Amino acid sequence: MSKKVKEGIGLTFVNIFFIVICFVTLVPILYAFSVSLNANNSLLSSDFSFIPEHLTLNNYKAVFTEEPILLWLKNSLILAVVTLVLSLGTGVPAAYVFSRKKFPGRKAILRILILLYAFPSLLSMTALYKLLSPMGLINTKIGLIIVYTGTEAVFALWNMKGYFDTIPVEIEEAATIDGASSVQIVTRIVLPLAKPTIAVTAMMILIYVWNEYIFAINFMTGADTYTLAGGLYSLQATEMSGSWPIFAAASIVVSIPILIVFFALQKNMTTGLTSGGVKG
Amino acid sequence: MNRKKKNTLFAYAWSAPSLLLILLIVIFPILYTGYISLTNMNVYHWNDYEIIGLENYKDALFVFDNGFIKAFLVTILWTIVNMVLQLIIAFILASMLNIRKLKLRNVYKTLLIFPWAMPGYVSILLWKTGMFNSQFGLLNQWLASVGEEPVRWLNSDVMAFICCTVVNLWLALPFMITIIDGALQSIDKSYYESALLDGATWMERTRYITIPMIRAIIAPSVVITVFTTFKQFDVIYLLTQQVGSKTGADIHTIMTYAYENAFITNNYGYSSAISMIIFIILILFSMVTNMKPKEEEGRA
Repeated sequence: MSKKVKEGIGLTFVNIFFIVICFVTLVPILYAFSVSLNANNSLLSSDFSFIPEHLTLNNYKAVFTEEPILLWLKNSLILAVVTLVLSLGTGVPAAYVFSRKKFPGRKAILRILILLYAFPSLLSMTALYKLLSPMGLINTKIGLIIVYTGTEAVFALWNMKGYFDTIPVEIEEAATIDGASSVQIVTRIVLPLAKPTIAVTAMMILIYVWNEYIFAINFMTGADTYTLAGGLYSLQATEMSGSWPIFAAASIVVSIPILIVFFALQKNMTTGLTSGGVKG
Repeated sequence: MNRKKKNTLFAYAWSAPSLLLILLIVIFPILYTGYISLTNMNVYHWNDYEIIGLENYKDALFVFDNGFIKAFLVTILWTIVNMVLQLIIAFILASMLNIRKLKLRNVYKTLLIFPWAMPGYVSILLWKTGMFNSQFGLLNQWLASVGEEPVRWLNSDVMAFICCTVVNLWLALPFMITIIDGALQSIDKSYYESALLDGATWMERTRYITIPMIRAIIAPSVVITVFTTFKQFDVIYLLTQQVGSKTGADIHTIMTYAYENAFITNNYGYSSAISMIIFIILILFSMVTNMKPKEEEGRA
């Protein structure tokens, strides 16, 4: 057998291997997608196929008409936008200063920040509950916004500082010599250069709020105050109750915006997260 | 005012809003958790709790039956199993993606990182209902179609541990594949050419060229992944112990253990002590792995 033929057979096997692996990887998502589109509710039959015989959009219709998903979406968006404004508004100037200036206490604060970055906010949930409840902030959006802003403020500061570090200082030095003030330097030079990291950080904050469920279900108890994540959590089909097709449809609906954002930002995602953050 | 002072003032002023937020919302609750951990606060003593010193810590660390030590050991096992499998599988897949004449490489990559793009909790819930559910889960449907009895996937400890590991790998592999793939592409191809001329086998090339070359590049990401695996909560909680639908399996990592004691059995003092212990473990761990603020080695 010639070398070329041998190589060809090898490549065919590799391709078959990857097709199988990709299919296996996507099975849970494909299954949910197909169930959500399936008209005959034959879930218990064993002759299930991935391509439904009769297509229907009724499950999607039910998600929007029978469940208050638009209200949940509104709640999530309000939380996300306020969290975003607060953590970026405070985070950008702080990240800039920590990247550019030397001042007493800077190193100590950075060390504390890296520890806080490793600290899962879930662990201080009791304390947060105990602190927010006398202020009447449990079951309110403000309570959740406070919790989310804290977590994301640490992330925003840390992530953006990492990126600012990679922007050469020389540009700013040249501007100073030309007589630009600090504020001018930041608004005219640094912010435009930092656009990619601000975009990625903003998206990560939105995704965090979109996906956060454990604080949402513990701090918000009424169905009309649910966030998307909390609402979807309440829709789950258990062994006993709930509708799996409707849950599947809702899952797809909730995931699509995140999928779009992820693939749009995919390149920045890897570099933005690994070049910021920490280095061993 | 001299330049240096002005500089310092400017720095404090600009970072103050962010640092104040963090101080109030993150640091203060952690300190408060430390305080609660010294009390007997629980559902009966929500307001009239009293300070009981280090009792909660003693209960956690020296009374094996309370379950913390067990949860800690499970967490270590969980982290090791997951990291080893993740590194091996990701390395194999990334190496295969780098086979030279593989034309559809980018298609496969895009499909393989799909699980990373999905919201994590949605994926976990889809696995729970779509795959593992004992009636309409796909796995049992497949078993039924070959005439086997249905299996209750999440009901026994060992089975549930395996299922959680599978789901965690499914969630985590895309990141690891991406990182290792990137590292592999950064290796200069001429090393392999001269190794091939010397007649080195695939094993030898992997051992003496590939692994030493990528180790430094992937190290930071591996450390981060060890952290996230150690702290993993969603997979185990959502699959086996949601309120009202506990599956019968009793596997706890330290995170789910802390959560259960706080919000299910309402033992706030004890749970806060667990939280503080976990925090201390994380601090020690980050000291061991020598994570420093980035620029200490370079600039500034």
